[in-house]
Amino acid sequence: MSRGDRTGGEEVKLRRVAEYLWEIPRHGAMRVPGRIYASEELLPSLQHDQSLRQVMNVACLPGIVGYSLAMPDIHWGYGFPIGGVAAVDTRDGVISPGGVGYDINCGVRLVRTNLLYRDVEEKISRLVEALFSLIPSGVGAQGAIPKISRGEEKRLLREGARWAVGEGYGRQEDLDHMEEGGALGSADPDLLSERALERGLRQVGTLGSGNHFLEIGRVEEIYRPWEAEVLGLFPDQLLVLIHTGSRGLGYQTCEDFLKVMNQATGKYGIDIPDRQLACTPLSSPEGKDYMAAMACAANYAWANRQVIMNQAEKAFLRVLGVSPRELGFFLIYDVCHNIAKIEEHMVEGVPRRLCVHRKGATRAFPPNHPSVPQAYQKIGQPVLVPGDMGRYSFLLVGTEEAMKATFGSTCHGAGRVMSRAQSKKISRGINIDQEMARRGVVVRYQGRATMAEEMPHAYKDVADVVETMDQAGISKKVARFRPVGVIKG
Amino acid sequence: MTIREIEHTADLGIEIETGDLPVLFSTAAEGLYGLMADLNDIIPKEKIAVSAVGQGWEDLFHAWLCELLSQFNLNGFVGKQCEVAVLQPGRVEGWVRGECLDLERHSFYTEIKGVTYHDFKVWQEDGMWHAKVIFDV
Repeated sequence: MSRGDRTGGEEVKLRRVAEYLWEIPRHGAMRVPGRIYASEELLPSLQHDQSLRQVMNVACLPGIVGYSLAMPDIHWGYGFPIGGVAAVDTRDGVISPGGVGYDINCGVRLVRTNLLYRDVEEKISRLVEALFSLIPSGVGAQGAIPKISRGEEKRLLREGARWAVGEGYGRQEDLDHMEEGGALGSADPDLLSERALERGLRQVGTLGSGNHFLEIGRVEEIYRPWEAEVLGLFPDQLLVLIHTGSRGLGYQTCEDFLKVMNQATGKYGIDIPDRQLACTPLSSPEGKDYMAAMACAANYAWANRQVIMNQAEKAFLRVLGVSPRELGFFLIYDVCHNIAKIEEHMVEGVPRRLCVHRKGATRAFPPNHPSVPQAYQKIGQPVLVPGDMGRYSFLLVGTEEAMKATFGSTCHGAGRVMSRAQSKKISRGINIDQEMARRGVVVRYQGRATMAEEMPHAYKDVADVVETMDQAGISKKVARFRPVGVIKG
Repeated sequence: MTIREIEHTADLGIEIETGDLPVLFSTAAEGLYGLMADLNDIIPKEKIAVSAVGQGWEDLFHAWLCELLSQFNLNGFVGKQCEVAVLQPGRVEGWVRGECLDLERHSFYTEIKGVTYHDFKVWQEDGMWHAKVIFDV
């Protein structure tokens, strides 16, 4: 069966490969085919924008291996589609900052508590207020912790979450439950611009604006009891999910290196179909510099989420009047979903060192993989999939199938289905607070306009996204949680 | 001169058409700031100089927008009126009048993370200048 989808006026032929997998056959300048994970229900949402065209564009990158992949939360981005994954060979492949994005190491962390929702239900409003007051949110947010010195900032950029823990923002064991232990080792702060460094000084521990948020959730359904037990989850448990990234320092680093890449693309004679895919060989000086600068921004993001988690714990302790032991604030895991990582993958039976770009996609490594924390060796890497702040979010685990089919990658969220302008238009007649309250969510936000653009109606149903990945065997659902409180910029 | 917002699933963009190249640059400035905040609330009480360099009109236009965005990112400055004083191959100089964002007085819409190159174009057709740009939100 095949199907034609229109993207930006051009029809893209899709061939069905399996129940949840569609292929764009290799043609034109594509070096590999495109592959899209989607259910029949999700497919129509791809018809009206350029996301499939972007899958094809990514397939043109030099050194790309296997397929240009898209997860079921795919939507129109810039350069890469959001939900895009591309693995390139480290010997002859390229690195593209557009395959990482402006918000380098935008990611999610999930924290569990010992509390039951029913025991603190009456205090959710106060908790949300306390979180909003302790975690600066929104545009230009700063000041969660005192401004750091330039020297201190450089140490943070090298050490990531380790810096935060060393400064008293969290516990040593938190570092065991993050991708890369919360720091990429290749960071070189001297490669960042003055502007990037300046922007980083005051924003540690801030949530920011856009689609970033902090959610208090309650465990609503457990699909896999054994895995849930290993993760310390139980019904009605209160959780905290934090979604943010590297703030202005990351955005500036991307902007600075896009200029470098535009020069390098010409210098190395690389032909690209979209300037946002500007790239350079990984082995080139420009490629090495970007990877080292990207690592700084990734480390900043881990430090940022670490400090926010610590601020959140303070808010819980303050409002609930319990001891840290009673609260049991414990980091389940922290994932990146905008990153490029050097990883080893089997390609046609041969191990190869690849640079895996994940732009709006999450790593999903299987049980027994050396990069998975000791505590999760038997169940696989936790995968955190936030929803739309109104319905639900999910926790999944990685699988062997992901290693075979998607370079160990899966979805990252609900995925937008509506433009910001459309969403604002629909939100115009809505009382946002009442609408969220109707959904059982207490919400505090800085900007009404941002909230109007980010309302649940602007997103796909994340349950459909997650179900597609589960049915395709790429990652397995463990638990679903429902938001009861949200803070947002 | 016409300016319109581009419908994009995740991000925001503008498309401009004008007969005059300096107006293309000044309108883009007002368009960028207008996506971020309600310019009706902004008082043009401060005047700042902005300049950019770039090869070709397209790169120059991109660099100009990046500089304008930096004024917000580094200083919180939101421009309401823009005037281009010098526009020559490789260089643009101008002034922007506005003020620093004050959330007590101003309606802020959206934080813009970057000026993307996706679908980015500056071109001349039938005597008119056109520009199309998408911003990462």
